[in-house]
Amino acid sequence: MNNLFMVIDATSKGNFSKITRHRVPGALPFGAKYRLIDFTLSNCKNSQITNVSIFPYGNYRSLADHIGSGDRWDLNRRHDGIFILPPKSLNLTREDSISFQRMYEHIEYFLRSIQDYVIVSPANLVWNVDYSVLLHSHLMNKADITEVLSHEKKRLKTYILSRNLLLEYIYAYDQIQFRNLSDVFDYAPNLKKHIYMFENSVYLINSAKELYDANMQMLYKSVRKEWFKKDRPIFSKETMSAATRYGTEADVSNSIIASGAYIEGEVKNSLIGRKVHVAKGARIYNSVIMNQCRIKANAVVEYSLLDKETIVLEDSVVRGDPDKLFVSEKKQIVVSNESLSILQVASECAPYIKTGGLADIVGGLAFQLSKQGVKSQVILPLYPQIKDKYSLFLELRAAEKIIYNDNEYRINLFALVDQNTTFYFVESYEFFEREKIYGYEDDGDRFAIFSKAVITFLPALEQLPEIIHIHDWHTGLIPCILRNENLNYKTLMTIHNIEYQGVYDIDIYRRLGIKNHRMVGYTKLNFMEAGLMNATKISTVSETYRDELKYEYYSKNLVDVINRRDRDFYGVLNGLEDEISPETDLEIEMKYNLVDVFEAKKINKKDLQRRMGLETGDDFFIIGMVTRIVEQKGFDILIPALYDILTNPKVQFVILGTGHERYLNTLNELKNRFPERVSLNLSYDATKPNYIYAGADVFCMPSRYEPCGTGQMIALRYGTIPIVRQTGGLNDTVESYDLSSKRGNGFKFYNYDSRDLIFQINNAINIFFNEKEDWKQVIINAMNSHFSMEDTAKEYIGLYRII
Amino acid sequence: MKRTMISMILVGGKGTRLGDITNATAKPAVSFGAKYRLIDFTLSNITNSNIDVCGIVTQYEPFELMYYIGSGASWDLDVLEGGIRFLTPYSRKGDILWQKGTAHAIKQYFDFIRAYNASYVLILSGDHIYKMDYQLMLEHHLNSNADITIGATEVPLEEASRFGILEYDNHNRVLSFTEKPKNPKSNLASMGIYIFSTDVLEELLEKASDEDIDFGKNIIPKSINMNKVVSMYNFGGYWRDVGTVESLYQANMDLVDNPTFLDLNVSKDLPIYSKSLNLNPHVILSKGRVQKSVIADGCLINGIIRRSTISYEVVVESGAEVVDSVVLPNVTIGSNSYLRKVIVNKGVIIPDNYRCDSKEIIVITDDNMLKVGEIYE
Repeated sequence: MNNLFMVIDATSKGNFSKITRHRVPGALPFGAKYRLIDFTLSNCKNSQITNVSIFPYGNYRSLADHIGSGDRWDLNRRHDGIFILPPKSLNLTREDSISFQRMYEHIEYFLRSIQDYVIVSPANLVWNVDYSVLLHSHLMNKADITEVLSHEKKRLKTYILSRNLLLEYIYAYDQIQFRNLSDVFDYAPNLKKHIYMFENSVYLINSAKELYDANMQMLYKSVRKEWFKKDRPIFSKETMSAATRYGTEADVSNSIIASGAYIEGEVKNSLIGRKVHVAKGARIYNSVIMNQCRIKANAVVEYSLLDKETIVLEDSVVRGDPDKLFVSEKKQIVVSNESLSILQVASECAPYIKTGGLADIVGGLAFQLSKQGVKSQVILPLYPQIKDKYSLFLELRAAEKIIYNDNEYRINLFALVDQNTTFYFVESYEFFEREKIYGYEDDGDRFAIFSKAVITFLPALEQLPEIIHIHDWHTGLIPCILRNENLNYKTLMTIHNIEYQGVYDIDIYRRLGIKNHRMVGYTKLNFMEAGLMNATKISTVSETYRDELKYEYYSKNLVDVINRRDRDFYGVLNGLEDEISPETDLEIEMKYNLVDVFEAKKINKKDLQRRMGLETGDDFFIIGMVTRIVEQKGFDILIPALYDILTNPKVQFVILGTGHERYLNTLNELKNRFPERVSLNLSYDATKPNYIYAGADVFCMPSRYEPCGTGQMIALRYGTIPIVRQTGGLNDTVESYDLSSKRGNGFKFYNYDSRDLIFQINNAINIFFNEKEDWKQVIINAMNSHFSMEDTAKEYIGLYRII
Repeated sequence: MKRTMISMILVGGKGTRLGDITNATAKPAVSFGAKYRLIDFTLSNITNSNIDVCGIVTQYEPFELMYYIGSGASWDLDVLEGGIRFLTPYSRKGDILWQKGTAHAIKQYFDFIRAYNASYVLILSGDHIYKMDYQLMLEHHLNSNADITIGATEVPLEEASRFGILEYDNHNRVLSFTEKPKNPKSNLASMGIYIFSTDVLEELLEKASDEDIDFGKNIIPKSINMNKVVSMYNFGGYWRDVGTVESLYQANMDLVDNPTFLDLNVSKDLPIYSKSLNLNPHVILSKGRVQKSVIADGCLINGIIRRSTISYEVVVESGAEVVDSVVLPNVTIGSNSYLRKVIVNKGVIIPDNYRCDSKEIIVITDDNMLKVGEIYE
């Protein structure tokens, strides 16, 4: 018995996208027959730890099913044993590691545990370690807290401390600035901190790529020796399957094959899970195939991570590359790439018509899909603005009459082909020959007509689509109309902005001739709700925002329909076009890239200071912002924070944007208080704001919510360090910089609270002035972050294939 | 504790015909098909037939078998009032009660049957390979108002003299039962599986003389003479009694040759459970080549395997070639060795450059290794 109990941190959701939809990361299959958590639990058993708790987030059914009574790890006990402690408050959204607040919910567990020391370690860690050795090191060094690092100095989120010290933090969770143990280790004063370097192979798995890499490590004998020791075995749940069977033409080398598999084809450098069938002529190279997948005859799978029960159909080719794996979702049926045909429907699309970010995504995605071999088509209304500019290129493809509200209307379909992508435009004199794009009383009728026209024109398209990808409320009625006309097209609806839902007269259903619309008894027709209810799958623009929308705080009136569709709801991060780059930017004083960024930053900084009328000098710390000045963007916490931060005479603040009177006034008051070091550009500025991205040191986005956000992505590309709140796309693009591992591209805080924002700004200021090498590192990390439209398109293709 | 039907598995036999394979192992604990033990089939059948009481009557080398079965949890037979009970010889009034035969063993443990107050007793063997739903057999027993039902299966006529052969009428009523007849009257053989109505069994055992120690030889023929209703249940599926080296080898080859053998790779329906040994999945190294074979967990394969079954934790070094063979657990096969048509007994270490190309089936053990094969330099 060890004087140690274990808290397994399964709160982190990581960055896995599809493969954690049905399970928490700890329950991910690993090494052909294990689950990630088997390592931590077996280490407990092998270290004689008998008191183990698991703090999971969200969907832990799979984890609970795997662990069962815990008897496989000798944790089915009269005293102690294994405890799964679920979150009590549903309002806690996901975090990177377990917070003291989360522990406080189960304070009884900590009070009841009799061991004097506690080890906190994540569920998604692959290693074979004797925890008593860690405890011994902790005690020998008389440390208050010990952190375990890998030999490459990666943080393993593993800490040892005394139960009493942990209890102090748990009790004070709402009074201290530290949310979790890594905060304590980084910032808490007056503690004796000790670092234990773990010499053997260890992998902390936070993404599909890391899962793949760690799996591939198992093909090395040296790693297998370190992970699977005779005297310290890794235990897993007992399952039932026959021995692996090989067919007459099987050709397998350098691979690991679990029991129950049936191999008739070729397998090279791969891991094959239980009960996988590889049919004759199928070839698998450099891939991880999880349990019960079926690879049918003559299919080829390369650089892929196939989740459980994926089926790859006959003759299909599934090919990722080492940097961008192909990842399937559980039970996905994979077909070949070429055959995919997608029609996007939207109210706007760059470069033809644009009022906001939606147009950039629709246009960028359309071109990228074509580049990746998909038949890509887009259809939108023909606004006069498009007619003016493109009339020479438009080609009439079809003319129809449609009935709406018992009247007959003429509609025409024009088309234009650009870079293998076909753009269609629906012409309607009555509804779209108007000065503005939106903002009419009959917008509901206009987009209802448009939706009906799109479906009327489907036979006139160059190729019938397999999937109709609809964007935002304007196209929300398309799934209903398809159903009404008994058309079996599959649909994906993407939410870009849930604030605009399109609420109009319920009579629109009658006008369209829709009978069974499932909204009987409603007095209003909510276009977005109708789309979310009826689309085959739904998505939004970042993983974190997807999770946040489960809470009423973010999704408001649509919370019920979104939770109902949770199984079909995905998050795909928007990308940034390649053209946005400091290397080619003509608007800035000095163009730059990674090679000369440090030199260029000084010059561009001086330029920014000059343009904004600030005192020039390298040794100022400039906080920049380019934003709409509205409540959503976090001004309620930002302005009090600035009053605090600007007391530091070396801080300057610049902002460009326009918005609500109330915040403009408070900004002007701030300017009056610090006239030397605050510069506002609050008018609508025609010139691009690029000089701010190039010249500022940090870029601040303390948004209350942010579905995706582009400012932080541009800032990263310009080597300007984002300080953001951990919400929506901000959370998915910014990783906190960590002094010990030198990883991370920015600074994040969790609570919507001035104090936490101040803490992180000061953290950045401290590194900027006192840890100059680290500041350079975070700039390099930022500029190496990669959010491209190409990746976004790949993600969407993955999603289309699941639909 | 009342049950409709309980099961008793008789594993008493020494399995002498399996030679060295059962040297320190009870026959039901012998490995089969790379990852199974023979007893897995019977235990899985029991659990798949929703029978939750199983008495295992054993007396020969019981340790390995007991250790393997443990609480029975692997077969879901670790239930509170029931589950698996080992019934070993004990002493009563000073005499140690060795079991002289199948019926004799059941007679000694009749208290076990009484304790569950079961109406029917299912008597099984622990060393047969088959998949069977015993509830269907019980249905047959009830429908034919039988006192005894004998599970039976068709065997090739030329092999019939190895089995107990049944002669029966149009209503499946058994007219005669002859153990190992010289001139078999049919090719329908007893599988050694019986359902007895409990009161009939009790009556038969009470009336049995000291010489009536075996069901097949004594009790069944006697009961036919006593005009009991003895019915025949034709099973019809794959069934093998692997009592000999040849039949064990042949059953392994059946498994290799037939990819859908007993649907073992299909999880639905009637799965065959086995105790998980917590081993790594096996690794095929860069020089490994495996065709038409079955391989269990924990193996490291760097040689060539063709038409063979390889049990768990077997190491095959580079250049080694294993053909048409059965390799039992924990074997190491040295580099550049060649094995054909052999059964390698568990734990044997085959040296480098060893060669055994046999014409008939041979069991290689540590003792006979250099007699049946040779080392080439």
